[in-house]
Amino acid sequence: MATWHVQTPLDESTVRKMNIGDVVYISGLVFTCRSRLQRWIFDEKQIMPKQYQNFNVLIHAGPIIVEEENKYRLVSFMPTSSLRFEKWGADSIEQWNLRMIVGKTTMGDDTLRKMVEKGCVHVSPQSVSPNLWIDSIEIIGVELKEELGSIEAPWILKCTELGPFVVDMDSKGNNLFDTIDDTVELNRQNAFSMLGIDEEFKPTKLYGVKRKTE
Amino acid sequence: MIQEKTYRPVLYDCIKRSSTTISEDVLMAFDQAIARETSDRAREGLKHTYESIKMAKERQNPACPDTGWPLFYFKVGNECTLEGGLLSLEKAARDAVIQATKEGYLRSTMKHPLTGADPGNNIGENIPHFTYKFTEGDELEIMYAAKGGGSECFGGTRHHVVAFADGIQGIEKFIIEAYIDASRAGAICSPNILGIGIGGTADIAADLAKQAASLRSIGSHHPDPQFRKIEEDLYQAINALGVGCMGVGGDTSVFAVHVEYAYTHIAGICVAISSNCMVARRAASRILSDQSVVTIKNPQWFEGGR
Repeated sequence: MATWHVQTPLDESTVRKMNIGDVVYISGLVFTCRSRLQRWIFDEKQIMPKQYQNFNVLIHAGPIIVEEENKYRLVSFMPTSSLRFEKWGADSIEQWNLRMIVGKTTMGDDTLRKMVEKGCVHVSPQSVSPNLWIDSIEIIGVELKEELGSIEAPWILKCTELGPFVVDMDSKGNNLFDTIDDTVELNRQNAFSMLGIDEEFKPTKLYGVKRKTE
Repeated sequence: MIQEKTYRPVLYDCIKRSSTTISEDVLMAFDQAIARETSDRAREGLKHTYESIKMAKERQNPACPDTGWPLFYFKVGNECTLEGGLLSLEKAARDAVIQATKEGYLRSTMKHPLTGADPGNNIGENIPHFTYKFTEGDELEIMYAAKGGGSECFGGTRHHVVAFADGIQGIEKFIIEAYIDASRAGAICSPNILGIGIGGTADIAADLAKQAASLRSIGSHHPDPQFRKIEEDLYQAINALGVGCMGVGGDTSVFAVHVEYAYTHIAGICVAISSNCMVARRAASRILSDQSVVTIKNPQWFEGGR
C-alpha cells in the first residue's frame, strides 16, 4: 500500500494510480461542501462562484470557524459523512471536475461509476482527531456565507500535509469497505452463536407482513 | 433556594466541558482498547483520536466539531427550589447555548428541518431539549449531552418492535443486525457506547436508550442480573464482529453496552438502540442548596433511582 503526498490541483494520471488502502496527505487549496451548497447549486439551479473552478479537491466538512476582529479562526475541523450527499455525488464530480472527495462513511454506486469514468477517488479519516488537523489548515476565504450559513458555506482552505486519509474508493471501481463487509458477514453468524441464536431462527414479523402473491 | 447567579454559570460550564473535556471513563476505555487492539489501522485511529481528545482539553477547544443536538438533563430534588423556577432555568440554559455557540464551543448545527435555515445560535423549535427526573433531596444536578449527528443519523439510533414470542433471541438479533447496518464505514464513529431501551412505548424505549448511551458511565452495570447479562453478552458478541475503530476492521467496536428497561404491553416489545460516538460528549455538575457546586467526573443519571 502506497503513501501519497499530493499537491492540489490533482491531475488525472496521479489519481488513477491510487488504490484502496493507500494513505494520502494533502497540500494546497481545497474547498468544503455540505448539503445546503449542493441543494443550492444542483436543485435550486444557482451559480457556483467562479473561483471554485480552480479547486478539484472537495472536503465534506462543516468546520467551526469563529470570526474575531475581522479575522477567521479555525476552531475545529473533521471530515463529515459523505453518504448523505450521494444524490449529488456524480453531478459534483462531473460539474466541478473533482479528482478527490474527502469524507467519512464512503459513498454509493452512482458516485463510484462517475469516479471510474472521470478519474476521481474518495478518501476517509480513520480517526476523529480535529486537533491533529487544524494546525495543517489555513483559512483563505469563503463565499455564500450569508446565503448558506457558516458551516454549510464553501470555505476555501490551504492545507499543508493534511492527513492521513485512506483511499476507500478508487477509480478502478473498488471500495475498501466492501472488504470489511465480507469480514463482518463471516463474523455475524459467530456473534449469533455466542448469543445462542439458532441459524434457523426467523423473527416473527409484527408489521410489513404481506399476503403471498402467486 | 438555588440562586440564578449560581446555576447560570454552571449551565455554561457543563456545555463547555462536554465539548472540550472528555470524561475519565471514556479516556480509560481508550487506554484499554489501544492496549488490546491487534489491527494496526484501528490502533492508529484510536491513538490519533485519543491524542486529539487530550489536546482538546489543553487547548480548550471542541474534541469534535459536530456538537450535534443540545440536550439538557435535569435531576431535580423534590425539595429543591430554584430562583425564578424551572422556566428561568430553561431560559438560562438557552442563553448558555447561545454564548457557547458564539464562542465556538458548540457549532451552529441546529437548522430548520425543511429549509435548512440557520439561526446561527442552536436555538429553535423544541431545541435545546430538556428532560427531567425527580429525586429525593434539595439538590439540582445538571447534565449536558452534545449528541453528534453521525451516531444519530445513520442507523445508530432506531427502534423495532419484537414479538414477545421471540424473547431475548429476537431482541438480540435485532440489535446485532442494526449495529452491523449502522457501523459500516465509520458512519457512527465506532467504538460506540451502545444504549438499549427495552419495553415501554417507542418513545419511552428510545428515551431510555439515549440516556443509557449518553448518561451512564462506562463500566457501570444494570443492577438487575437479567439485564446485566444482556449487556455483557452483547458486548462480547458485537466486539466479535470485527467492525473496529471507524469501521476499518478491529477488535473494539463498542466500549460498552448499556441496557435500560420499562414494563410494557407484551403484544410487541419495543427495542430501541442509541449509539454514542467514541468522542462521547457529556458533562455534569451538582448544585447544593448552600450554592456550592460539585463537578461530577462521570455522569450519574441513573444513580439514586431508575
